[in-house]
Amino acid sequence: MSLVRWKPVLHRPPRENPNGFPRSRCPPRSQLPRPFCYRKPVSRSVSCSTLPKDQRPRVRPIVRAGVTQTPSLAEVEDAEVLFSETFQLKHSQTVEGKIAVRLNPAEADENGTKWRLTVGCNLEGKWTLHWGVSYFDEIGSEWDQPPPEMRPPDSVLIKDYAIETPLKKVSSPLEGQMLHEIHIDFDSNTPIAAIHFVLKEEETGAWFQHKGRDFRISLTDYPKEDNVVGGRRGFGIWPGALNQISSLLPKAEGSSSKQKDSAGEVRDTMIQNRHISQFSEEISISKQLLVTNSMTVSVRKSDDTDKKIIQFDTDLPGDVIVHWGVCTNDGRKWVIPSTPHPPTTKIFRQKVLQTLLQPKADSIGSWGLFLVDKESSGVVFVLKLNEYTWLNNMGTDFYVPIGRESSSTTEIALDNIAREQPTGTETQDVRNRLNILVPPPNESLEATDPKEISTSPIKSQVTLRTDKAVAYTDEIINEIRSLVTDISSERGQGAKSKEAQESILQEIEKLAAEAYSIFRSSIPSFVEHVSDVEISKPAVKVCSGTGSGYEILCQGFNWESNKSGRWYSELSAKTKELSSLGFTVVWLPPPTESVSPEGYMPKDLYNLNSRYGSMEELKDLVKSFHEVGIKVLGDVVLNHRCAHYQNKDGVWNIFGGRLDWDERAIVADDPHFQGRGNKSSGDSFHAAPNIDHSQDFVRRDLKEWLCWLRKEIGYDGWRLDFVRGFWGGYVKDYIEASEPYFAVGEYWDSLSYTYGAMDHNQDAHRQRIVDWINATNGTAGAFDVTTKGILHSALERCEYWRLSDADGKPPGVVGWWPSRAVTFIENHDTGSTQGHWRFPSGKEMQGYAYILTHPGTPAVFYDHIFSHYNHEISKLISVRNRNKIHCRSTVKITKAERDVYAAEIEEKVAVKIGPGFYEPPDGPKSWVVAAEGTDYKVWETS
Amino acid sequence: MELGVMTKQAAAVAKPAAFPARSLGFRNPIRVGSRASRIGFGPPARGALRRRAAIRIARQRPVRSAVLVEENSSPAMKNKAEPVRIFVGLPLDTVSAGNEINHSKAIAAGLRALALLGVHGVDLPISWGVASNSGDWSSYLTIANMARDAGLRLRVSLHLHADRRPSLPLPQPVDRAVAANPDLLFTDRSGRRRPDCLSFAVEDLPVLDGKTPMEAYEEFFQSFRVAFADFIGSTITNITIGLGANGELCYPSFPPTGDNPFTGVGEFQCYDKYMLADLKRYAEESGNPLWGLSGPHDAPEYNQSPYFGNFFKDHGGSWETPYGQFFLSWYSGKLLSHGDRLLSIASKVFGNLPVTLSAKVPLLHQWHNTRSRPAELTAGFFNTDDRDGYEAVAQMFAKNSCTMIIPGMDLAVGDQLVSQIMQACKRHGVRLSGENSSIIIAGTAVFSKIKEHILANNSVLDSFTYQRMGAEFFSPEHWPLFTQFVRSMAQQQMDSDDVPSKDGRLSLRMNSVPGNDRELQAV
Repeated sequence: MSLVRWKPVLHRPPRENPNGFPRSRCPPRSQLPRPFCYRKPVSRSVSCSTLPKDQRPRVRPIVRAGVTQTPSLAEVEDAEVLFSETFQLKHSQTVEGKIAVRLNPAEADENGTKWRLTVGCNLEGKWTLHWGVSYFDEIGSEWDQPPPEMRPPDSVLIKDYAIETPLKKVSSPLEGQMLHEIHIDFDSNTPIAAIHFVLKEEETGAWFQHKGRDFRISLTDYPKEDNVVGGRRGFGIWPGALNQISSLLPKAEGSSSKQKDSAGEVRDTMIQNRHISQFSEEISISKQLLVTNSMTVSVRKSDDTDKKIIQFDTDLPGDVIVHWGVCTNDGRKWVIPSTPHPPTTKIFRQKVLQTLLQPKADSIGSWGLFLVDKESSGVVFVLKLNEYTWLNNMGTDFYVPIGRESSSTTEIALDNIAREQPTGTETQDVRNRLNILVPPPNESLEATDPKEISTSPIKSQVTLRTDKAVAYTDEIINEIRSLVTDISSERGQGAKSKEAQESILQEIEKLAAEAYSIFRSSIPSFVEHVSDVEISKPAVKVCSGTGSGYEILCQGFNWESNKSGRWYSELSAKTKELSSLGFTVVWLPPPTESVSPEGYMPKDLYNLNSRYGSMEELKDLVKSFHEVGIKVLGDVVLNHRCAHYQNKDGVWNIFGGRLDWDERAIVADDPHFQGRGNKSSGDSFHAAPNIDHSQDFVRRDLKEWLCWLRKEIGYDGWRLDFVRGFWGGYVKDYIEASEPYFAVGEYWDSLSYTYGAMDHNQDAHRQRIVDWINATNGTAGAFDVTTKGILHSALERCEYWRLSDADGKPPGVVGWWPSRAVTFIENHDTGSTQGHWRFPSGKEMQGYAYILTHPGTPAVFYDHIFSHYNHEISKLISVRNRNKIHCRSTVKITKAERDVYAAEIEEKVAVKIGPGFYEPPDGPKSWVVAAEGTDYKVWETS
Repeated sequence: MELGVMTKQAAAVAKPAAFPARSLGFRNPIRVGSRASRIGFGPPARGALRRRAAIRIARQRPVRSAVLVEENSSPAMKNKAEPVRIFVGLPLDTVSAGNEINHSKAIAAGLRALALLGVHGVDLPISWGVASNSGDWSSYLTIANMARDAGLRLRVSLHLHADRRPSLPLPQPVDRAVAANPDLLFTDRSGRRRPDCLSFAVEDLPVLDGKTPMEAYEEFFQSFRVAFADFIGSTITNITIGLGANGELCYPSFPPTGDNPFTGVGEFQCYDKYMLADLKRYAEESGNPLWGLSGPHDAPEYNQSPYFGNFFKDHGGSWETPYGQFFLSWYSGKLLSHGDRLLSIASKVFGNLPVTLSAKVPLLHQWHNTRSRPAELTAGFFNTDDRDGYEAVAQMFAKNSCTMIIPGMDLAVGDQLVSQIMQACKRHGVRLSGENSSIIIAGTAVFSKIKEHILANNSVLDSFTYQRMGAEFFSPEHWPLFTQFVRSMAQQQMDSDDVPSKDGRLSLRMNSVPGNDRELQAV
């Protein structure tokens, strides 16, 4: 494989009248190759633009000064080339083809027991069948090696469960086209229940299967196979008694399958005997090809001394529109060039020209000649193939300098050599490749030797890409090696050794990528994905605490709610409104008697008369929430409790009320309160005695209390205060005893910062939260403090890239364990009148646009609901509910850049936040705006 | 194709040698010798073919001779000026239960990448079960060959336990004996058998077709020694002896199902017939026959906290009573004597060879801040807040001239325990190696933690093994972090004049942002 495509640089369309031009009056120009600007190639190919001498026309067109028309191609043919550059244009193209699967009796067989499975494919490529069988007596869907007599000769065994056989090229007698085919012969007496396979295209490394499912040719119709047919496995080619074939293949609509099987039908016709039927099936597939075309742009002298001719020549098929402008000086600002403009040119938005290139008459491609002012420093352009396909130069605009004429002898020499280059082209490049930068070896030195130099441009054109995909060439390795050799002989030459180091590093990267791809594809991989483990875990007792997944939480109070003394009755006037907004769960303030009015310094746990109202009012409130279908969470403070009395030393550590504990209920390492329990299993809350949950009597009492709250008040679940203070295992205990519908813990510790800036990677932070959830055995969720923190930085500093982690997932707890993450942007501590860690002001709606569209269970703060944001929040909630987004919804981040973040959720909702521009791509889905506001926008599929 | 393969191999072997250490700053400077011997070839040939040939010839001798030079000086005490040698663990299932090499292509590429990066060598886990069942060392020898060809050293870990995932068995004679007599396995209080390894109490009983487990272990060591004679002392520089469950010196006190690490305290494993008999004898000898009837009745279960039951309570727990002390001395003593006997057998077999012996201890940091340190007690380390249990362990390692491997160098927790173990080793002159616990939680923080341990002023680590190669290891999220780690280790250890000059310095292009501390959780 060569990395470089040499293209005939100057395409010559047929001339209407090849010899009809009079000789130019101008003295004939030298027929020696033209000088051109030799630019140091960086990821572009540079070539000269002359034709072999013998074909060189001897004519010169007359180009008169002042002619206001753009020149014709023939006229410029001989114009001196000042600069020429060939750009490689890479774009993907879908090629469609078919996979044919046939099962029929082998021809030369008397007994009729020999069968042949044929798999063919009519797409170009290096196809390999990766296959295995399952035997009769086996359960499960494991693959096995086929018996030796079934293996075609050139097969390669893959461990002990699969075999790979390359498809052979045959020419199909019918269509006259190339086919790749494989035959597998077997005897129907072999105890094979099914043949499984996937097709692999070696060059692209693409696997053809269906959503991770293998092709399956079942050779039995025993009832135990009925799961295959029943459609639960979703895929199978079923040559059963009815000759039914069901397939869901990469492109299902292309399937020529005649019948759709149904479980019922097949079951009815279950035959106890083996019965193989002949069948034939074609399945459409499509393969993405990376196509490389090229565009050569040459700058030529014009006889009009004020102008220069820019010649475009490309082999791109179809209409090509050059979207172009000129720039002056060194700035790359696009300016519309002065007239005349080439034919078929439109002015687009007063800024640029759009010129449709003319198709070539003799071959695929098109061309165009543009006249530009000599003063322009360059031409900038991009190419438009159709509405959706634009081509640019690796992310930037193409740029061709118009520059000044220059010449030098070495360049002439180079030019000379380049002319001898073969002009063979190869336009399809289906490999992903890892190209590396190899700086051109000393040109000046090597230029003296034409033989040597003939290879040097090739070497020098290796492009730099950080593409991780594999494929390498020996050429590159040689290149590295030569550099290594050079280095070791000229050690100490800084620049050189740097290049070498670079090459070595590239080599390392390449090897690692290779190892990665093999490790990853080896199926019985040892790398444990906890997710698989979790999925395969038997559903223990479906534990409460995590709700239905569709909850939307409302924090039903703020730091000031205790002030009126009748919060419960005030809030009960709003139950209907909260319900109509779409909330399903409300979190009420801590209900117990408390030393502080807000309720977070509980004293007598069984006394529920607080500054928020009486116990009766609380019961009524809970009841009225239930009437409108909202579940109620009680805010329970389990970490600490204030004592009623002092002990003999004057330390407040004797409790009163129904739970009359003493200092044994207080952790031993809480020096202020002289606890006599065990050491704390978590962090300390300093203002009150920390409860020792390791004591059996404490846990028994707390469980009893929680159950009482559930029964007496009607709470549906818990918001657990300061759970950092004790082991998550105890929380599990409490949850299991009180069986709440929903529970969420407040595990709030600080994020990691370096020099005042928050670190991008907050994995340690979210890990701590996930660890806590884990310790509760997943019985409770936790507030996603990580997401809040990251939103702070992203919004405040306009660093929206922070919203994607290294895996391209959300960077908070919601990216790791969405079903246990309760996302929020503000609560009574962080905001309200305390403002310990307030969300960036004015950007709250961006925060809500994020959490209300993303997985996790979103929580909305009271202050925001009853503010001018009310309408916007309500809109977002209804988008969430309408599209049935839940805590486990999938999220695909489509953009995470400096000033804009965008994601698609469940492929139903798209959201962007940030000032930058984003529109969801139009595809099969069409998007309509569902909600929008300052710096955010939400779409849903129509 | 043929040519392509050859070219690649040539490239792989050529590079470490032909490329002098300092240009990248990765390799041990001792290799520079290779350069001198290739200068004779004159200026590099232009033609690619000639160039290739030149390099290939150039590499042959120098590498080997460098090996010799290095190994002769190797078993000395750690020289502080020498950089810590970094090893990478090969996948546990490098050789599958069926004695087949898994993902050999990937390992080949991986070995070359590691060699180029300047990693010192790799750690090959060898399963007693796999090797004895097949009676054939060829798969393991192939891997050793691959490592040698890549110019890497090899540490070999002889695992005498069974693995759950990937599933690696115990030898068939053991399985047969166990089927006939399940009491050969460790057993917990509720009677669950632990299939990880054989009970320490049966080691001198002829239960394996007339052989004792100790004899079987020795036979296995001998067989290894014979098969790898060509490698030992050259490619193989270290042999790690698996002393118990998970290859660590410990009882299988962790929960029989579910994931490690666990958060509870674990359980004592003294309920098989033979352990109980031994306990009874010990109790009678010490004059308290009633103490020998069973294990502690008031210890919690695997996943409970220390405060369930009475045994581990901080205040007034049974562990502090004379009974507790009696039981714990016996329980931990059994572990120590098991370790001691196995290591002396190992040093008998390997002692006269130019390799170092090492063995791993577990890092049981959970509940280390309680007084009783229950997780350590159940695993067999009698280490409480008023008793240093690692003193005796270090002494046992010293006696057998065995290097101690401490895992968990990547953990943010457990510093206290690590430094306690290190102190004990220092006092007894035991050399130390480090390991990380798991790649699953790798991230920048993890690597800086590891570095912190390695570069600490009082650090006595002379090698560090990073566990372990696999898809995750080479993933775009993890690999750049690892290369950065290896490079930074090499840079820091180099003399200033060995470091490339400023403009020659090169930073790796990291196209992936740090991260991937993944705790994968399903929804």
